[in-house]
Amino acid sequence: MKQLIGIALGATLATAAQAQETVVWWDFLSGGDGVRMKSLIEDFNAAHEGEIAIDATTLEWGVPFYSKVQTSVAVGEAPDIMTYHASRIPLAVSQGVIQPITDADWEQMGLSQEDFAEATWNAVTVDGKQYAVPLDTHPIVLYYNRELLKKAGRLNEDGTPMGLDSREGFEETLAALKDAGVEYPLGSVTADGNFMYRTIYSFMGQQDGELLTDGEFLAGDNAEKLQNALTVLQEWTKNQWQSTYTDYPATVALFTSGEAAMMINGVWEVPTMKDLADEGRLFDWGAVELPVIFDHASTYADSHAFAIPANNGVDEGTAKRDAVLEVMSWISKNSLFWATAGHIPANSGVTASEEYSQMEPNATYSSLTANMIFDPQSEFSGVAGPMFDVMSTYFVPTLNGEMDPAKAVEEIQYELNDM
Amino acid sequence: MIRNTKNDTLIAYVLIAPFLVIYGLIFVYPTINMFILSFQDAPLISFGPQSAEWTGLDNYTRLPDDRRFGTAFWNTAYFVLLTVIPGTLVALAIALGITRLSGRIQSLVLALFFLPYILPVSVVYRIWDWTLNFQFGIAMHLFDALGIDRIPIFKTSTWFMPAVAFVTIWWTCGFSILLFLAGLRAIPVEFYEAAELDNAGRWTVFRKLTWPLLWPVTALVLTIQLILQLKIFDQVYLFTTGGRPNDNLVMVYYIYQRAFQNDDGGRAAAIAVVLFVMVIVVSVLNFQLLRLAERKT
Repeated sequence: MKQLIGIALGATLATAAQAQETVVWWDFLSGGDGVRMKSLIEDFNAAHEGEIAIDATTLEWGVPFYSKVQTSVAVGEAPDIMTYHASRIPLAVSQGVIQPITDADWEQMGLSQEDFAEATWNAVTVDGKQYAVPLDTHPIVLYYNRELLKKAGRLNEDGTPMGLDSREGFEETLAALKDAGVEYPLGSVTADGNFMYRTIYSFMGQQDGELLTDGEFLAGDNAEKLQNALTVLQEWTKNQWQSTYTDYPATVALFTSGEAAMMINGVWEVPTMKDLADEGRLFDWGAVELPVIFDHASTYADSHAFAIPANNGVDEGTAKRDAVLEVMSWISKNSLFWATAGHIPANSGVTASEEYSQMEPNATYSSLTANMIFDPQSEFSGVAGPMFDVMSTYFVPTLNGEMDPAKAVEEIQYELNDM
Repeated sequence: MIRNTKNDTLIAYVLIAPFLVIYGLIFVYPTINMFILSFQDAPLISFGPQSAEWTGLDNYTRLPDDRRFGTAFWNTAYFVLLTVIPGTLVALAIALGITRLSGRIQSLVLALFFLPYILPVSVVYRIWDWTLNFQFGIAMHLFDALGIDRIPIFKTSTWFMPAVAFVTIWWTCGFSILLFLAGLRAIPVEFYEAAELDNAGRWTVFRKLTWPLLWPVTALVLTIQLILQLKIFDQVYLFTTGGRPNDNLVMVYYIYQRAFQNDDGGRAAAIAVVLFVMVIVVSVLNFQLLRLAERKT
């Protein structure tokens, strides 16, 4: 009976607390970073008790999430705030599913262009308007096994791999690892072209190549630059320097079990490594910016950002809008904790902080922020977008040595321009 | 007692009304909408700046030159070829074997063959991915032991469709086995006793007795399989994600790509209409042909 009274009392209290704004939140963050986001949300709710409460739901990443957003906006049932990939923003704007963040909003949040890296700011900007508040950037990095590199004699004094500055140097490292008896010098997600897109696009960027220019895919010498990138990767396969037909989980497993000495993967795998290392089940590891294979450093990145859906009543001047802006502002300013998920916080105030510079391996690779490239701004790009499928179809056979890179580029060019 | 027929009719209408309403709402209405959408250049959901535009037959006339549509069409045909008749034959063979057993053994064996059918497709995918994974699959260790080169089964276009067809047969034949068993049990034992008296061999009994008497069930299984396999999507989607999706397209997958990934409602609807018509034509044709065959035997 006491319990019942307790429940009843709790219910009344909850009703009484209705004066506080409830912010309905959708995200697609599951796994390691999802856990960290939930704890950030709890901190937010604790700090805003009685004023704002976030009611969060985690949905399936990728196409399911974005389809649901689209339908919910159309019927006016969208959440108040949601996470969004910066790479999907051009598509979202053309579909009319998100609201612009106005100058007044930025001012109210106490954030501005100066707080973000240029590439990140541009990624959320369409036609001069911003459509989301970047939370982080998540590039790909090179993970490495210090013990194996040392065995192969390719570890620098400072604990980083040798030969990161040129193709010859990096290939020397790969060859040395092979000679030292390492089965796979480089663990590559060669069974998943969607994933390899990130590496290949980075290598194109290292030659100043662009995917989309004036509405045409792979125009001019961009096709050749894609071909160069594919050729390098195919040669690594032919020299047996990288794992073939390996899917994402298998690649991570090859690296963590010590069969692959290095691995190119997203920063979101940092928690996996950290947790394994804490349990004493991992070798001495590190992560650095991608090697420079062509002319200069360049790394693919995407950004998790917060967006306000359209058609949901969160209009300017409403109390709900104020609450949503407070959420975005607070989380952006407190995103240091988010960095433990491996991501680089987008707010440069956070990355400039003393605590962040102590955080490893983030501090080592955060230099790459200056060399980030984002997806081309197009309705076709973005994670789980149509461009991914075209690429994947030809990347997989090419990377595993079944298809000639020139042929693959020709097909990709045809299909992309045919979308 | 004189019955009021007018009242009866009314009651009949009231009783079927819920069905009609639901059927109309979730089948007839969307189908009509799909046809309308297929003549428009429209996003999947019309909202805000995007609006639908009438384009006449454009969505249809561009299909013959659409390479992905071609891939999807031929892959679907290939998949149907690989699954419908082989799947039916496999189920028939297993059912014939099971009828020869009796008692608990029979139930046990039947249960073993039926088990895969109750698995959700995601579990089926996991099992076979673990078995055939290029790096860690159990089957690959078997290949190594036998000295055969490892094959990245779901990553090559040569092996993809046959492998998915194999998995599909493994997964779905339990249901066909049940139908065949029911059919076999409906054949009176006396027929077999008479055949035995006539000293008929096993093959003759099957050819002259079991096969013709089982034909209606076989025809049913073939038709069900045909319709089901034309609509293949889940297995292909799961096994191809990240691999070579555009080489392994099937019709429903292509509809999904156009509708949900490209947000091209109009073109997706046109492909859906084509598939709709295909299913109707093929299944009617199939059923008529099978009936014809039945009359001949």
